[in-house]
Amino acid sequence: MNKTSTKLLIASLLLVAVMIGLGTVYAKPEAAPQTQASPLHPTFAMLDADGNNVLTSGNPVSTMQTCGQCHDTNFIQAHAFHSDLGLGDYAASKEINASNGIFGEWDPLTYRYLSQPGDERLDLSTAEWLMLNGYRVVGGGPADTSRDGKLLTNVKPDAGNPEASILDPETGEAKTWNWNESGVMEMNCFLCHTENPNLEARLEAIKSGDFGLANTATLFDSGLAFQTEDGFQWNQFAFQENGEINANRVFIQDPTNANCAACHGEVHPDGDVPLTINACDLNYPQTATTGQVIAAQKISESGVNLSGKDDLDRSWDIHAERQLQCTDCHFAPNNPAHALEAQDANPDHLIYDPRKLEIDEYLERPDHNFARGVSAQFRIAPELKSTMRRCESCHDTNKSHAGWLPYNDRHMQVIACETCHVPQMYAPAYSSVDWTVIRLDGSARTECRGVEGTNTATDLVTGFQPVLMQRTDLEDGKTLFAPYNLITSFFWIYEDGNGNLRPVRKTDLEAVYLTNGNYAPDMLSALDADGNGKLSDAELTLDTEAKQNLIAGKLEMLGLNDIRIYGQVQPYSINHNVVDSKSATRNCATCHNADSRVTSPILLADSAPVGVTPEFVPDVNVTATGSIVNENGALYYNPVNENDKTYIFGHNRISWIDWFGALLFLGTVVSVAGHGTIRYVVARRHDKRTVETKPVYMYEVYERFWHWLQTIAIVMLLMTGLVIHRPDMFGAFSFRHIVTIHNVLAALLAINALISILWHLISGEIQQYIPHPYGFIDQMIAQAKYYIQGVFKHEPHPFPKSKERKFNPLQKITYLGLLSVLLPLQGITGMMMWMVQKIPSIQTWFGGLPFLAPMHTLMAWLFASFIVGHVYLTTTGATPLEAMRGMITGYEEIETHEPQAS
Amino acid sequence: MKNRFPFWTLGLIGIILVILVPVLYFLPRADKPANDPYAGLPEHPVHVDHKDIVQGEFKTGQDVTRACLECHEDAAADLMKTTHWTWESKAFDVPWREDDVTIGKVNQINNFCIGTQGNENKCMSCHAGYGWEAGKETALAQEENVDCLACHADTSVYGKGTFGNPAEGVDLLAAAQSVRVPTRENCGKCHFDGGGGNGVKHGDLDESLYFPSENLDVHMGKLDFQCTDCHVTENHQILGRMLADNYTIDPTEQVSCEQCHTNQQHEDERLNTHLASVACQTCHIPALALEDPTKVFWDWSQAGLEGRVDDHFTYLKIKGTFVYDKNFAPTYLWFNGDNEYRYILGDKIDPTKPTYINKPAGSIEDQTAKIFPFKLHIAKQPYDAANNYLLQPVTSGEGGFWTTFDWDSAFKLAAPITGLDYSGQYGFTETYMYWPTTHMVQSSDNALQCDDCHGENGRMDWEMLGYSGDPIEWGGRK
Repeated sequence: MNKTSTKLLIASLLLVAVMIGLGTVYAKPEAAPQTQASPLHPTFAMLDADGNNVLTSGNPVSTMQTCGQCHDTNFIQAHAFHSDLGLGDYAASKEINASNGIFGEWDPLTYRYLSQPGDERLDLSTAEWLMLNGYRVVGGGPADTSRDGKLLTNVKPDAGNPEASILDPETGEAKTWNWNESGVMEMNCFLCHTENPNLEARLEAIKSGDFGLANTATLFDSGLAFQTEDGFQWNQFAFQENGEINANRVFIQDPTNANCAACHGEVHPDGDVPLTINACDLNYPQTATTGQVIAAQKISESGVNLSGKDDLDRSWDIHAERQLQCTDCHFAPNNPAHALEAQDANPDHLIYDPRKLEIDEYLERPDHNFARGVSAQFRIAPELKSTMRRCESCHDTNKSHAGWLPYNDRHMQVIACETCHVPQMYAPAYSSVDWTVIRLDGSARTECRGVEGTNTATDLVTGFQPVLMQRTDLEDGKTLFAPYNLITSFFWIYEDGNGNLRPVRKTDLEAVYLTNGNYAPDMLSALDADGNGKLSDAELTLDTEAKQNLIAGKLEMLGLNDIRIYGQVQPYSINHNVVDSKSATRNCATCHNADSRVTSPILLADSAPVGVTPEFVPDVNVTATGSIVNENGALYYNPVNENDKTYIFGHNRISWIDWFGALLFLGTVVSVAGHGTIRYVVARRHDKRTVETKPVYMYEVYERFWHWLQTIAIVMLLMTGLVIHRPDMFGAFSFRHIVTIHNVLAALLAINALISILWHLISGEIQQYIPHPYGFIDQMIAQAKYYIQGVFKHEPHPFPKSKERKFNPLQKITYLGLLSVLLPLQGITGMMMWMVQKIPSIQTWFGGLPFLAPMHTLMAWLFASFIVGHVYLTTTGATPLEAMRGMITGYEEIETHEPQAS
Repeated sequence: MKNRFPFWTLGLIGIILVILVPVLYFLPRADKPANDPYAGLPEHPVHVDHKDIVQGEFKTGQDVTRACLECHEDAAADLMKTTHWTWESKAFDVPWREDDVTIGKVNQINNFCIGTQGNENKCMSCHAGYGWEAGKETALAQEENVDCLACHADTSVYGKGTFGNPAEGVDLLAAAQSVRVPTRENCGKCHFDGGGGNGVKHGDLDESLYFPSENLDVHMGKLDFQCTDCHVTENHQILGRMLADNYTIDPTEQVSCEQCHTNQQHEDERLNTHLASVACQTCHIPALALEDPTKVFWDWSQAGLEGRVDDHFTYLKIKGTFVYDKNFAPTYLWFNGDNEYRYILGDKIDPTKPTYINKPAGSIEDQTAKIFPFKLHIAKQPYDAANNYLLQPVTSGEGGFWTTFDWDSAFKLAAPITGLDYSGQYGFTETYMYWPTTHMVQSSDNALQCDDCHGENGRMDWEMLGYSGDPIEWGGRK
């Protein structure tokens, strides 16, 4: 473009600008009745910190003064953990963490450490902490109050006080910070209560340390104020004559999902614009740490390069799709429209207590301690944990799972809704952060799961399956499997001269690794395996003790004591990105299988400093009962559900029971096969002989009915039980159907047994089963001898069968044991396993399912073995099939007492 | 005992029953839909090849028809009872007229090419008959004038010309030998190109459906439906009625999703709660004119300008200016299947306000009405400025507007034909015509989801539909 045309372009642009400007100005006087931006909120004056109208003072706005004209801003600030951020809980500590909020609690992801008073080395002063974390600081709390409760503006500049100083990057020394010059940040109401807060302008003000401007900068796009070269100016035209803002500038609204997203993570309100995600971007902390994305858009229509995307024709989050707002579950606790009934505070008979705040009372003093869940990663305001609306506050699981999920109650006793309804995350999330090394750009070596690379638009995004861990709910004390992402971090810690345990400062780490913007020569010689003068992520790992010693030595030379590497694993709760029933996990075999979802391992870190086993962070409601294993340098967390006192049918088994049972069964088979073979061979060697027999009506109709019903039921129970026990070997069967068949058969067997007891009692046939004590052992020995010797020689049965005495002594004792001990025991253990869903306390008897289920299995093996022996011994009658015929037709040919050889 | 009946088998049967009955009773059953839509999947049997049956020689279309009637004796008589022949509905008693009225291309107007009267040379190329010119009654009455080939011949060997006669140069023998069950091509010739070109009239029917992709229409694309699979035909009476050419429509005369999708419940109960108020089409036809654009605006007042360059999609001298649109959201109205109003030639209008050529019936209070997607076609078309009614010009006919570009003479020419006085003064007024949308159906993976209608970015104008606000917050209709 030549000069003339450039000039022309500028001139025409100017002309357009002037015309637009004129148009705006001339349009002003005839302003038609303005449409009110907010349907409810009245117009108001903008006041500065002194309570004067900003139009006259030209000062930045004070939210406490402005909003305080009607709302009790002091009350709001005092009831807002979003503002407090841990300040109220702050207590200087020799340990690393000084509070339970981000102000004072160290986060290895952001790494920089908020220095405590008395720390030998200054890392983050309050001012620099604000600059770095400001994007998720609402204001108030640590942004305007000191750790001992003074106004920050009253804290005198002091290079020795981490609250009134800042680290000078040039010198590496602390220099003073003057809060009266920088100003402080009051709680920023506009951040959450306006439609389009200017986040960029606010962040720019915070990052440059111009804290006093931050809240006003939030309004830069609203038309009320605009940025100028030397600061900002209020827009006179946006105000009425009485000093209040114009009605069309009243942009106050209830917080939307987008407002919450400003600090929390990826929220995508627009259905048409394809959603894009930055992989593991800490500006979207919730998404970067968990992969959670709040969007109504179908995953298949997003801009993420997801594998199998076409089939993911459902929204990212069903609740977002169904137009729920964050505040629907995370509401202000005293909001009369949302408040949950604190039922336990009421007399038992009272279902609903209508005494609530009036809406005006609520609007004056809305409680900003929002209802929250029991996430593992946020420790702030523990007293408010589990105050929010949870799945079961809205959904009736019995109704929603009716008709297809067997044992609904049992599943609800052990599995959180999220486990099946958040089956997979489709956005990447951090898996590990290794601060024992440092990249050239000053970042840690990080690993991101769910993406093959870093760019979610061009690299393949696979998403990841959260790991299931035991979550203890505070409200009811239930322990449930729930999904988590695990982020493992490694970092150096040291003890400073004052005995405080501190993470090594980033600046010290850089001093060790870097010189003049490049890696130090000794670092290159130690780490640069391919000798190209650069350190790739693969090379940036302290995988030998020599490398670790080198770094530790250099850190010690900087004056740090007791240098060591610490590794920790932080679970991050996953509760959003819920899917509806169609997409939820609903295949029984997902969990009830050898390869169970419940015990799916999760990668902690592809590579880790050698010899460091990370520890789970303490004091969270998540119990890590699994084990951390090292496979070729990669660390995995393997859940072990047996440690959680759970027993997953089809997955868990006690191997010795199965070995013992199988050997017993095989042993029986081999024994009868051997016995039978010998009998057969011996019989062939002997001459044929005929035996005098006579037909006897041995079994009544009912006896036979009872026996065969029992036979079929037991055999089918054994077979269905085997499928339930080893679904991995019998994948062709539907687990759900087999379980139902097993239960119905068990009920039939029990009913059959009860009726037969009655029949045997009434008919007196019960006596057949009761051994006559006198000489019984001798009789048993005689019968056993017969089976070992006599049977081969065709000797007569020592206790001939008759209608009055059907059973020989061994049969008597076996049947008695079988029917009065084994069968009832098997029934009782089975029944208890079945009833545990309605009577959860069964789980606490004799060790619950982990005891009952293996017992049941053991007895099943005994039954199976018995059947083999029983069937075999029926062949010892007059002819091999005679006893069987008797049990079928009732008539059996019985040998007469004088067998004759022919 | 040898030959005794084995009574134990009875026992065995009893035992099996005792086990089987409770097991089957308790076995969880998958909730199968009471009706399987795939049962309605059409079968397309091979049609009898007429190549060796039909013998020439044919000089005129009527020769062909006579040959057809030798075997298909009742075919012409049956067809002549249908609107494909009469172009006229049954008589309706409409509240704004004393006498009963009939509606159809034969006597009424639309807001595309306006009307057929006096324009038979062009318009009748879509009539299923031959030789409809002046003295139409005699031509109509002849069975031999039924054009069998229009619907039954292979469209690659048969086409129609002026007055509905076979186009010049058509090999009638080849056409007659190619006859078969009508395909999308046969129906499409008139229904895809109605209004003077591809996709002009319907937003949901255009030439993209000749070879539809899977995502264009689940029935025609994925499952290769032909038109007559849903527009079931008996004795040449084709199921389905065009809303604009009727006042009320008996539901039994209309095609509906429920022909196959009876009791079709969604797995999601929340979706099922919509069924009382939302038509299937509303969610399953998220957008119109997916591939080929359709006309949404037509300004006749700009026709006849000297010097303006013709362009198919924006301006034609003979027709005026247009706006075409593609892949856009329909207009949603309450709809119970009928028209609340259909403009009848001679109806008075208020030229300062838009005139409805047709207005679908239904409101939020009407429990039989559901929210339904429409293509709205807006036109500026001529009216008599003194008499305040819409005019029908002679356009394609002899001495018509398309040759003279003189509106005045076109109206004068039409007056004796339409029987409607022309005062000599004319103007142009805005008219609305609503076209129900029921094709280009999408399967569930492409259907609308909650946020398409509900929430801040939703496409529904709830208050216009009569709700207090988004029913997700304000509740549905009572």
